[in-house]
Amino acid sequence: MAEATLEIVDASAGYAGRIVLDAIKLSARKGELTAIVGPNGHGKSTLLKAISGLVPVTSGEIYLDGLRIDRLRPDQIVERGVIQVPQGDLLFPAMTVHENLLMGAYANSDGLAERLDFVFTLLPKLKERRNQTAGTLSGGERRMCGIGRGLMAGGEVLMLDEPSLGLAPIVIEQIYEVIFNLRREGRTILLVEENAERIAEHADMIHLLDNGRIAWSGLGAELMARPEIVETYLGV
Amino acid sequence: MTSIRRDILIGLVCLALAVALPFAMPGRYVITQSTLFFIWAIVVVQWNLVLGIGGIFSLAQMALFATGAYATAMLGFYWKVPMLAAIPMAGVITVAVGMLIGLACLRLRGPYVALLTLAIAQVMYVLIVNDTDCFTTTGGCMPLFGGVRGIGQFGDIGLRALFPSKWYVAHYYVGLALLAVAVTISIIVIRGPLGLAFRALRDNPGYAMSRGISRFKYQLWIFAVSAFFTGIAGGFYAIHFRVVGPTVFSFSTLLFLIAMIVIGGLGSIWGPLLGAAVLMLADEGMRELSDYRNIGLGLLLAVFVIAWPNGLNGWLQRSRASRN
Amino acid sequence: MDVLIQIVASGLTLGAMYAVATIGLSLVYGSLNMLNMAHGAILTLGGYICYAAIVHAGLHPALALLAAAFVCALVGLMIYFSAALPLLRAENFETNIFIATIGIGSVIENLMLKGFGPYPIPQPLAVDGQVVIGNVHIPLQNVFILGVAIVLMVGVAILLQRTSAGRAIRATSMNREAAQLMGVRVGRIYAQVLALSGALAAVSGIMISSIATLTPVMGGDPMLKAFIVCVVAGLGNVYGAVVAAIALGLLEAATQYVLGVRWSFATLLLLVILVLIWRPYGLFGKQQVVRL
Repeated sequence: MAEATLEIVDASAGYAGRIVLDAIKLSARKGELTAIVGPNGHGKSTLLKAISGLVPVTSGEIYLDGLRIDRLRPDQIVERGVIQVPQGDLLFPAMTVHENLLMGAYANSDGLAERLDFVFTLLPKLKERRNQTAGTLSGGERRMCGIGRGLMAGGEVLMLDEPSLGLAPIVIEQIYEVIFNLRREGRTILLVEENAERIAEHADMIHLLDNGRIAWSGLGAELMARPEIVETYLGV
Repeated sequence: MTSIRRDILIGLVCLALAVALPFAMPGRYVITQSTLFFIWAIVVVQWNLVLGIGGIFSLAQMALFATGAYATAMLGFYWKVPMLAAIPMAGVITVAVGMLIGLACLRLRGPYVALLTLAIAQVMYVLIVNDTDCFTTTGGCMPLFGGVRGIGQFGDIGLRALFPSKWYVAHYYVGLALLAVAVTISIIVIRGPLGLAFRALRDNPGYAMSRGISRFKYQLWIFAVSAFFTGIAGGFYAIHFRVVGPTVFSFSTLLFLIAMIVIGGLGSIWGPLLGAAVLMLADEGMRELSDYRNIGLGLLLAVFVIAWPNGLNGWLQRSRASRN
Repeated sequence: MDVLIQIVASGLTLGAMYAVATIGLSLVYGSLNMLNMAHGAILTLGGYICYAAIVHAGLHPALALLAAAFVCALVGLMIYFSAALPLLRAENFETNIFIATIGIGSVIENLMLKGFGPYPIPQPLAVDGQVVIGNVHIPLQNVFILGVAIVLMVGVAILLQRTSAGRAIRATSMNREAAQLMGVRVGRIYAQVLALSGALAAVSGIMISSIATLTPVMGGDPMLKAFIVCVVAGLGNVYGAVVAAIALGLLEAATQYVLGVRWSFATLLLLVILVLIWRPYGLFGKQQVVRL
């Protein structure tokens, strides 16, 4: 079994005194797709924000390749290679697609040209739209641009916060096609998704987040074999 | 003790002390400075409603004060309106001007309001100061708004004639009475339905708006209420000093007053009064250092906002809470 | 025709000065949501530093200009570390920083009053001579101001559009959180923007004092106009601000000619109010969607 790249040890986090995450313990292993599923409002996004340093971790630790990162500033965490593609893209709307991609490589511009080629090959639509302002893209294109921007950082761990949110089913399929391809290439991915069924067979590990706690952890295929868990927590 | 009872108690104690002051310290200087304190305190208490309760970042308060003062003076000078009628009329005129400013500004977001109100005050100042055309020539050339020199000789409320040697004490009590009314209104606004509406808008804007609480409407209300008393204070200022000039627009007065509110505690009932008292006293104490007055004021303002954003009032409340 | 040339010439000069004064203000608002009320005082300080550097220290005018820009950039940094940084950690940043910078502006202004006295001083950094277009004599000083302003604006545009640091500034002003996720250290961006804004204010202060005179309170009027420009363009919109500044300068020159100096400011304000009633977020501004 591969070593843990990102390791979260009993981490709690929250805003203004309210604990949103309670002693979370999970890890994302190198070259695997680790998924966090669970209903909305149960701390999935907060977990990614805490890893990225946007929400303070009040207790517990987070390690990247054995080095502690939970006390670092967001920019230091990005520099270490933990990259987040945030929910709802958060593109820079008045910048062109190309500029957005360049921003993705802000912290790490070594091999910029190769990475840009890689992103354009993976997401050819972005190449077509490269000089278009990001604010004028369609929903699916925006999502692609967000993922492309994340890939431009060339990080160790790519965290994706609900990449399917608000998209049409056919576009969701395209997006996941891209993500599963990245997994096949050996990228380390931490994926947040509300709909467990969509990703279960592709995920190496699945963690079910309920009310700020990990309610269940297991292999991807296992979850679908446990209808009672799916029913209790995911209401499918 | 409920908060409203405590407010009444504090108010009555302060009132009693203020009523007794002229007997304890009958010196003319103390009395006239206290009267000035009452005037500024009225403005600050009303401005606090707009800033701290309504959440409107308006810097037009001194312009409204000036409107009241100029309206009083001009009513007396041009139409010979008796001052006792002119002052309330000035209050109403100030409300009208305030509503106009409010209509122009209140749909905008915070910083836009601040800039626009500041610019409006500046325009009023520029228009008055640069006016050199003679409007009348009775007693020398006199522009419509009095130009740089201002307007004088517009009458009196008659207390100077009634108490020739002690008129300043009479003015002291008039000022005190006006302040008492202004504070009472402020308590009613803060503790009453208007204050509640604003708290609702601040704490849960979505819910408040869905219950039909319109921020714009309530902001216009609070703007109007505070404009009325600010205008009255301006009128009283006019008759107290017997002249109204463009100095009421000066930035250092604005700084002085905003520092009172911030140092006392923005949004609280007694904070602005406390801040006004503290700053008036500090100003007296450092009269010899008057060159450094604005430097000191600026520093105090910045330091308080950065280190103690809730002002003296917040500090008092914290220390009381920790005692209990 | 001559009148038109005259109006355009002085309008462009005014507009160029306002534009330089406005860019900094707009950048700061764009990235920090901060209305810097000390901007006028910093601008005046720039004028005085340049004066002191030439008259008292005997520096070459070009060096004096750099010295003024440097000192004012430092003042911008000081404002960041002493006021903006602590206030960013608390609530109500927009209101509090506004009040705090009123205080800081007053301190700077009154220190200048103590240091240089209340009387107007001519700005020694001036160019003699004039150019003649038609029958109109245009002082070389105005041409010089226009030239410096254009160089500065092009410089700022290149910085913002073509460099990685400039892109980070724009990214921060578009979406603070997204910029952080790209590895932008926003605190450093804020400091840079405030320093840049201070330096630009210094240059505009020198320009303004070179066609008027230096007094401790001279910054108030250009600051207010810079604010008006920002408001018309939409707070934080740098390129809109440049267009609006030049339009405002031309308009001011025209109203001064047609209605006299006295009414020009009032007319401008009336126009601004009308613009804001028509478009509450400025001509080029976009309404921010407030999520409840």
